[in-house]
Amino acid sequence: MNKSLLTLAIAAMLWNLLPPHAAGAQLLSPANKAQRVKITKGPELEIASDYLTIIRWTTTNPGGADEHYGVVQYGTDPKDLNQTAKTSIRLNRGHPETVFRVRILGLKPRTTYYYTVTSMESGGESDGEKSSVNKFTTPGPGERIIADPAPPVPKPK
Amino acid sequence: MQRVRFKFLMVCMAVTAAFIIVSLAVSARGQESQNGQQSLVVPLYNPYPPGILPPDLTQELERVRREVRFIESEAIAEWRALGPITYTGQPPIIKGNGYQAVRTLGKLMNYDENISVSKNVACASCHMPYAGFSGPIPSVNLTMSAYPGSFQFRAGKRTPQRYTYSPDFPVLEYNKTQGAFFGGNFWDSRATGYKLQSPDAHQSQGPPVDTQEHGFPDTACIVFRLSKAVYRPLFEQIWGGDSFDIAFPADTERICATPGGAAIFGSDTQPVKLSPEDRTRSDNDYDHWAQSISFFERGDDVSPFSSKFDAFLNNKYTLTPDEQAGYDLFRGKANCNSCHLDGRSTAPTPPPPQGTMPNGIDTGAAASTRPLFTCFGSANLGLPLNPRDAFFYQTIPDPFGFTPNPLGFGYRDLGLGTFLRSGFGTWANPNADWIQFAPASDGRMQVSTARDVALTPPMCPTTEAPGPYFQKAFFHNGYIKSLKQLVHFYNTRDVYPFPVTSGHCPAGTTEKVDCWPMPEVPATVDGTIGMLGLTDHEEDQIVRFLQTLTDGFTTPYPDSFLYTGLCMAGGSAKTQGNEFLIPTPPLPPCASAVCGVPPLPTPPIP
Repeated sequence: MNKSLLTLAIAAMLWNLLPPHAAGAQLLSPANKAQRVKITKGPELEIASDYLTIIRWTTTNPGGADEHYGVVQYGTDPKDLNQTAKTSIRLNRGHPETVFRVRILGLKPRTTYYYTVTSMESGGESDGEKSSVNKFTTPGPGERIIADPAPPVPKPK
Repeated sequence: MQRVRFKFLMVCMAVTAAFIIVSLAVSARGQESQNGQQSLVVPLYNPYPPGILPPDLTQELERVRREVRFIESEAIAEWRALGPITYTGQPPIIKGNGYQAVRTLGKLMNYDENISVSKNVACASCHMPYAGFSGPIPSVNLTMSAYPGSFQFRAGKRTPQRYTYSPDFPVLEYNKTQGAFFGGNFWDSRATGYKLQSPDAHQSQGPPVDTQEHGFPDTACIVFRLSKAVYRPLFEQIWGGDSFDIAFPADTERICATPGGAAIFGSDTQPVKLSPEDRTRSDNDYDHWAQSISFFERGDDVSPFSSKFDAFLNNKYTLTPDEQAGYDLFRGKANCNSCHLDGRSTAPTPPPPQGTMPNGIDTGAAASTRPLFTCFGSANLGLPLNPRDAFFYQTIPDPFGFTPNPLGFGYRDLGLGTFLRSGFGTWANPNADWIQFAPASDGRMQVSTARDVALTPPMCPTTEAPGPYFQKAFFHNGYIKSLKQLVHFYNTRDVYPFPVTSGHCPAGTTEKVDCWPMPEVPATVDGTIGMLGLTDHEEDQIVRFLQTLTDGFTTPYPDSFLYTGLCMAGGSAKTQGNEFLIPTPPLPPCASAVCGVPPLPTPPIP
């Protein structure tokens, strides 16, 4: 262990009770639902490994419930997208756009998958926007595909 | 010259420390004498493999006991100074000092070690002011994460949540419009507040009868011990002179000195046999216990809104460039304020092209003068299982025949999901309408306030290595050991994902730096975070901003100077605590007692 313990001094202090503050917790009402939601970037592959695949896309902020789900319908046949993955995200009311990221586990290696994306409120109401069919191919065992261009995340020293 | 000054300062501080330690020791002896009883001698329970319990655990528990007793003596002095308590008018109000009276009673209870089966654990024993009312023992935070209870060494299953601002959480409700749960207390929101209309008060009724915490077998035991407390007159003045007119059976002390879960009790949750009238009175007293403690926690001793950020909102502090940059990232690129609401950025703006209707951009105006930095919701952040969590090892019966965790590593912490199912190791769900939401709630833990996440004793002024620092444990299972790691986890969880458990990152990678083990509950992991695109420097700036949320800037934080333990130093915040990582054993499938309770997790949890 490369740590050394320091003994530092202490001092006791007594403080008067201060005036109380007001009470009460409030939840914000949902933001206004956008009249039309538009995909502004993607969808695209963020990462694919033999463990985890993430599809991401950006939309105009859909508003409505703070909690949304990104939904990916996918399959190996572009005419039969028979599987669904969904991942929750939380909207930021102060942001004009929203990034959806959906995690998919357990895909087969070196396999081409076709998919569409959409989003919905946590209660199930669709945001009304759906992408066309896209595709990606998973890497081989032990390999990894990172989004191109890679996100600006330098490897920590 | 500077070196001489430093030496002089250190000598002064050392003398002060010695004085305080002696004072605490004297205080401790006085308290024992005052109690007139020693803690019961009971056989230890140690099911842990070598290295799970930190080597200084016994000394550290004693150190915290001294500190707790000192603050209790402080509270007694505050009680003595209260003056007359006089009810006036209709409805009756304690005029003038009513706030102070109820809060002082709450403080007295909060620091009372007699409210535990072995008279050695107070509420504060796991929640000390110098840690933002979270875990006070650095070595426990570094290793077992869950704290030992009154019957040593049974231990809980999660890290002690901070008290700060917990009274502000609303009663747990499923908001149909939002399609989500909001409110409650505890990591899994099980303290709904449905009867007292205060999740925080409801929360305070849990640990005293938790088998691995205070350990009482019956809520009547708390009332029985309160009836013996030196501050009983204050309780009676506030809550009624007949509060303790209860005919406790002769065997009450013996029952209350026996840990809950003991085989001798069988399935009896009320082994203290009271008449129906006395049981009602006892239950009411226990509600008053809860309300008093919650009011203490709402007060300025705990939740004072005295941080740099509060001064900033009041135009009395200018954030440094790094703090401001961190704040801009917090509500911008890093998106932290999507859950940790900062009370700004909610003002509507005009439609395009002038604005961005329907969602506003930050106007620079505070929408709230007391933002709580939480949305009161819950999320599954995708934390790995922490194999150091003491809960996993309590798989054999203790001397009383109780086994805290018969599931061993088959246990998975599904948080809110397990609570909604009234499942293993949690409370009953009081609303059957919510059961249907369990699968979507699996793995979700409460979104804590970001306030005071960085609060440490002033003598160990940071949570971050190289320090000198105070070691804290973050999130529900304590897997994260520094704020740098916390932000880096949010930033890169999905940049460096590996299909391994903790302690098994591939060669050439460093856990928590460029390897994140897989989530404990993978099905419901939140996608808001995971790849934020922050640089290393930007991560540091967010840490700087989080530190502005520490109370005690505009006015000193009460009792935060009373830490008598040691600071740590050296190393890097990026790898802080990594030398204590241990390999997760091969995990058995999730036990049916957790994952086999309908409605079943979807998809299944491995």
